[in-house]
Amino acid sequence: MEYPLKDTREQMNKIRLNHLLCLPLVAATLAAADAADKPVDFDRQIAPLLASRCLECHSGPSPKGKLDLSDRGRSLRGGETGPALVPRRAADSLVWVRIMQDDMPPKHPLPKTERTLLHRWISEGARWGTNPIDRFRYTTESRAGYNWWSLLPLAPPVPPAITAETKRHSRWPRNDIDRFVLARLVRQGLSPAPAASPRALIRRLFVDLHGLPPDPGTVAAFVANPSETAYETLVDRLLASPHYGERWGRHWLDVVRFGESNGFERNAPRTTFWHYRDWVIQALNQDMPYDRFAQLQLAGDLILPGVEGAAAAGFLVAGVHNTVVGGSKRMKLLARQDELEELVGTVGQTFLGLTINCGRCHDHKFDPIPSSEYYRVVAALDGVVHGERDVAQPEQAARQAIVDTQIRSLQQRLALLETRARASVLKARKKKAPTKTPSPDLPRPTASWNFDSDFRDSIGSLHGRPVGGARLEKGAVVVDGKTAYVQTAKLTKPLAEKTLEAWVQLANLTQRGGGVISIQASGGGVFDAIVYGEREPGHWMAGSNGFVRTRSFAGSVETMATTKPVHFAISYQADGTITGYRNGRLYGKAYRTGFQKYSAGNAEIVFGLRHAPAGGNKMLSARILQARLYDRALSPKAIAASAGAESEFVSARSLLAAMTANERTQHAVLGKQLTTLETESRKLATLARAKLYTVTPRQPEKMRIHIRGSVTNYGPTVTPGGISAVPGLPADFGLAADAPDSSRRRKLAAWITSPQNPLFTRVMVNRVWHYHFGRGIVSTPSDFGFNGARPSHPRLLEWLAARFTADGFRIKSLHRTILLSATYRQASRPRPLPLARDANNRLLWRMSPRRIEAEVLRDSILAVAGQLDITRGGPGFVDVSITPNNGTTYYEPFDKNDPALNRRTIYRFTPRGGRSAVLDTFDCPDPSIAAPRRNVTTTPLQALSLLNNAFVLRMAAYFATRIADDVGDDIDRQITRGWQLAVQHAPDPRQRRLSRKLIRNHGLPTLCRALFNTNDFIIIE
Amino acid sequence: MLTSTPHIDRRQLLDFGSHGLAAIALAQLLGENADGAPQLPARARRAIQICLVGGLSHVDSFDYKPGLDRNHGKTLKTDEAPDIFFGKVGLLRRSDWTFRQRGESGLWISDMFPRIAENADELTLLRSMVTDSANHTPALFMLNSGFGANGFPSTGSWLSYALGNESESLPTFVVLPDARGGPNGGASNWSSGFLPAQHQAVIFRGGKQPVRDLFPAKPQGPGSDRAVQEFLSTLGRHELSQRNNDSLLAARIRSYELAARMQTSVPEVSDLSSEPQHIHELYGLNDKRTADCGRRCLLGRRLLERGVRFVQIYSGGPIAGSPRASWDAHESVRSNHGLEASRIDQPVGALLADLRQRGMLDDTLVLFTTEFGRTPFAQSAANSVGPGRDHNRYGFSGWMAGGGVKRGRSHGATDEIGWKAVEQPMPWHDFHATLLYLLGIDHTRLTYYHNGIQRRLTNVKGEVHTGLLN
Repeated sequence: MEYPLKDTREQMNKIRLNHLLCLPLVAATLAAADAADKPVDFDRQIAPLLASRCLECHSGPSPKGKLDLSDRGRSLRGGETGPALVPRRAADSLVWVRIMQDDMPPKHPLPKTERTLLHRWISEGARWGTNPIDRFRYTTESRAGYNWWSLLPLAPPVPPAITAETKRHSRWPRNDIDRFVLARLVRQGLSPAPAASPRALIRRLFVDLHGLPPDPGTVAAFVANPSETAYETLVDRLLASPHYGERWGRHWLDVVRFGESNGFERNAPRTTFWHYRDWVIQALNQDMPYDRFAQLQLAGDLILPGVEGAAAAGFLVAGVHNTVVGGSKRMKLLARQDELEELVGTVGQTFLGLTINCGRCHDHKFDPIPSSEYYRVVAALDGVVHGERDVAQPEQAARQAIVDTQIRSLQQRLALLETRARASVLKARKKKAPTKTPSPDLPRPTASWNFDSDFRDSIGSLHGRPVGGARLEKGAVVVDGKTAYVQTAKLTKPLAEKTLEAWVQLANLTQRGGGVISIQASGGGVFDAIVYGEREPGHWMAGSNGFVRTRSFAGSVETMATTKPVHFAISYQADGTITGYRNGRLYGKAYRTGFQKYSAGNAEIVFGLRHAPAGGNKMLSARILQARLYDRALSPKAIAASAGAESEFVSARSLLAAMTANERTQHAVLGKQLTTLETESRKLATLARAKLYTVTPRQPEKMRIHIRGSVTNYGPTVTPGGISAVPGLPADFGLAADAPDSSRRRKLAAWITSPQNPLFTRVMVNRVWHYHFGRGIVSTPSDFGFNGARPSHPRLLEWLAARFTADGFRIKSLHRTILLSATYRQASRPRPLPLARDANNRLLWRMSPRRIEAEVLRDSILAVAGQLDITRGGPGFVDVSITPNNGTTYYEPFDKNDPALNRRTIYRFTPRGGRSAVLDTFDCPDPSIAAPRRNVTTTPLQALSLLNNAFVLRMAAYFATRIADDVGDDIDRQITRGWQLAVQHAPDPRQRRLSRKLIRNHGLPTLCRALFNTNDFIIIE
Repeated sequence: MLTSTPHIDRRQLLDFGSHGLAAIALAQLLGENADGAPQLPARARRAIQICLVGGLSHVDSFDYKPGLDRNHGKTLKTDEAPDIFFGKVGLLRRSDWTFRQRGESGLWISDMFPRIAENADELTLLRSMVTDSANHTPALFMLNSGFGANGFPSTGSWLSYALGNESESLPTFVVLPDARGGPNGGASNWSSGFLPAQHQAVIFRGGKQPVRDLFPAKPQGPGSDRAVQEFLSTLGRHELSQRNNDSLLAARIRSYELAARMQTSVPEVSDLSSEPQHIHELYGLNDKRTADCGRRCLLGRRLLERGVRFVQIYSGGPIAGSPRASWDAHESVRSNHGLEASRIDQPVGALLADLRQRGMLDDTLVLFTTEFGRTPFAQSAANSVGPGRDHNRYGFSGWMAGGGVKRGRSHGATDEIGWKAVEQPMPWHDFHATLLYLLGIDHTRLTYYHNGIQRRLTNVKGEVHTGLLN
């Protein structure tokens, strides 16, 4: 069946028609079947009529006027005013009389055709069929029945073949998706768009899958070779990156109304709820099958012991939670039922696209969900209680102890191997130069990096990690002068006086400005570093932010550092004296200037980089063999000793050379094992014990139907179960009314995720489609009921659902199928004809251009400015002040220049009602309510926010610094670099001319501010 | 400009203008021509609401209860535990203020609000308000959105959605919080919920940055703002012509134009120095006690004059603290309400008088509301008459004035002592239904689809109280 193009929920909202009033109420099928010579068919003609016109009031446990028209006997008996139905005597049948008087149905007189039909039926003897009438059986024009499209079992269609009409485009389809789309387009006299340009495509792909723009190098490589293989490789690479989970996890958090405070009056923060957010990200990154993904969220604490299961079950308590429920018993009961309604609503909408929650006070008005079944689902979830759990995992702790023992043993064995080798190297050296004696009192460093087999600090915890391709080679870290550097963990103690020291071998002597070792704070805004050749070619200097602590040492020109390693050290005294030493001797003159302290938690060490953000002339091209940090200004003697100790230093390369082949192999194997075990130990440590906000189940009570939602008027008891209109496993779970929580939720999870449940699959493939295209095939992603939209491509939806099931519910595989289609790769440029026929692009004659979401906007600004901190997981960053005040909690967003706040937005602590200016303005939803589809608005407040907000202006300044660092003072190069970083293309002549004017008159930061506001930055084509 | 963009998709042109989404939507809803005519005859075109945070004691202000005087010191007769906040039910306590009949109408209003009382002949007193919660935050949410939980659109957002604005360069819905801080629940009180973001409230503050991010957070070089705007506009127009007048591009260009206009119109409307001295005097701008509320009432009037649809003025900040900065008079009604009333009585009275003298009261609604009332009994031990009162959700007062409501009348009533509403109880759904009706909107037809439900401000309830209509 084809659905009209305009039948979308947006349309409904746009015109806000109350469809009850505007849809014609005559069931077309009823009239069509009205062939006068055949007797009236009760089940096909009369039952649906009564169901849609009368039974809303005249059926159920307390029918209006005590008249129940769903049952033959009770209809004949009638209600308070007498017999409703007298066979063959319409005039004596109250049903007929009241209809003829236009009393019934109230306010909506029965159409003539239906009157005729009813009259005929009574006159023919009022023959009854199936008794009682199941009013949910048939879909009518006012409600969905069991035969509603989304409730039918999956019926995978064959993709349309190329026909005479589609022949013209026979080369367009790349996969089966395109065949469905093409067939539909051509039927409407439309044609698909040409493929998007490689630049547009790669940007689309990055934003779609990572929520971040690509870097210019990646774009250039793809533009140079936009082959099918290159595209597929790109897709796979992006899907494999951890940024994927951070982007698509955000979508899921929208759907499940993830918020980190309770809402309502108290609105207390949930400081341990980030476990759920991290679990979602990890599950997506692991490509966990969707059925498993759902099961763990519904019953993870029952299925998996320990932190992971409990974290996953956080889904159940992600919503608001009323912790002030008033004194009376009624208020408490009501609050509990409110909470369960919210939970049932979320479960139904998230996984089934059904608004089961509408059954709390009455049978669902539009979908075949009787109120009794709503209470069955409530019964299935009644064990859910919000709370915090202290989850210990004895197995994990025990396992960690074992791993740690193994680590120690490995370390000993490695040490043994190395000591033997070192001894033999030193022995050999002594033979060569017997006069050189090692200094007796070497200064003890605060941190020391040997770079033999890892980037670890062998003394403290300032372990490094390689960035941008930094690698270990022959006992040194190799940095390439372009992207590679090493960054350590943050300082754990504050640092005032200090000495920086390194052995370094330069790749060339002509380089200008690279840092060997640098201590930096606030993301590089403050730093002190050993820098080569920045101000004076060939000279060493003490680099610092804005050169505030930099003077010339007036030392000698470097000539040797390419042929053999040079020892360079700089000491910083509290009185501002800065002294340089080369190979243990004073380098030029010391000088006095200001003094910079570094605080714990805010500063770290970088190697091969002058200071963050990385790029440009800040990058060193060299091998760094060893480096040390001291928490004091070493004396000349101590430095000389340390430099002399070079003879004591044995590089990993020499060590390995001194080993036998057998020992070398052993060393490599042990080293590898050690790395693996250390990673595992860290992981186990977090799993071994955690406090987390999650479900704290209780033994549910026997559930009774609450008549009209009342907490004082109860109907019959119901047992835990699902919705019988949904095909798949039986909706009766076969449990007793007093079954424990564990069996209830397990059964619910199994019922929902059954492969035979078509809604489970359809809803998810549609969600994925929705996020790729900006609109679902069903444009109401959490509502597949009568009130929801109809699918624009019903057969495509079926095909995708079947494919998803066959692929084992692998979401990444679904992404891949969609991303490789020609449909996805279309250009977004509008064309007059299709625009006129299908302005909303329901038929996918192009890719709809999209404004980036609030989080993508913020993350992109940070990334482009070179300030994005990609630290993953753990407690979120907090950019609101939290003020508990007499039982309520206030969250006030603040702006602060603090690199700790520069993480991806998904890691933002998200209390309810505490939204930041930029996010708020750009339609970031309040987490109080599920947002399966975000609003997209374009408002003057957005313009103001993007032009003037403190965060944006600050990032524009950083962006400008980054550009200047990268390309220097040349305006044209700055313009090119700026455009490429921000919007991934070089400016055209017009754009260049305007940019030049802006820089000349107002400086580079102003251009950067403007670039953040361009359409190219905000809109994804 | 707009006229040069024939393919513009109006759904994406979400400016504040009356010819934006809302007017068209409404017109289509009514099946009428797209002229923005409301579906019912509108008796008012705009509204301003004064929200007293903390709970105004009705029995001390607008609900005259001689029965309470008579029963002073007696025990409340009830067979159920009252749903109040602290649960301490002291003896009945008479009003701390003297009530007098005012104006020609003879409405009884106490001396707590002498200046407002001077306008008694303009008011319809609502003496039978009721609400579901005796806790501040949910009760405030009820007042604003009709729901006790976070996340639902506030009245102002619904009005913005329904009516759009009469001004292009000012927001539709403006909130003016108390200088002492925001109410409990903060920004959730004026959230646009699931309605599109252009219906969210805009907060106007004092100072050089009356609206958040109106001007750069840090000063930029001279002329650079303008240069950036020109840069964007030149680029944008070119792109627009290159891309067949793509609607999203057109909307963005328009949004920057409107932003630039706001940079002129917002400071203009916020600049109270252009008002004559006697107006400053009238609103109490020269008196420290009344200056904050006076400034906001005057600003509110200026906003309404320039086409803003809905203005909300809060009296009272956070509930807690000592001394309290709200109407939450648990300790002493006398001292708390005395102080709070002295901050707002003159400004609110002035607002009524000023609107009337400008002829604006005919089509402007003034709403005076609080989230709940206070108990007729003292909040003290069962055998004493303490000076404070607890929360009362069963009956309380507010008033309406202006476009479409009766003048000098009272509507509904509480029982003899002011404990419970007994005549024409008015829950917030009814209040909202009546408000929408006055603005020409059928509350059952103002809906927005969200997650399977056509949501309404009035949920599935709401009756228009026709008795108070003029």
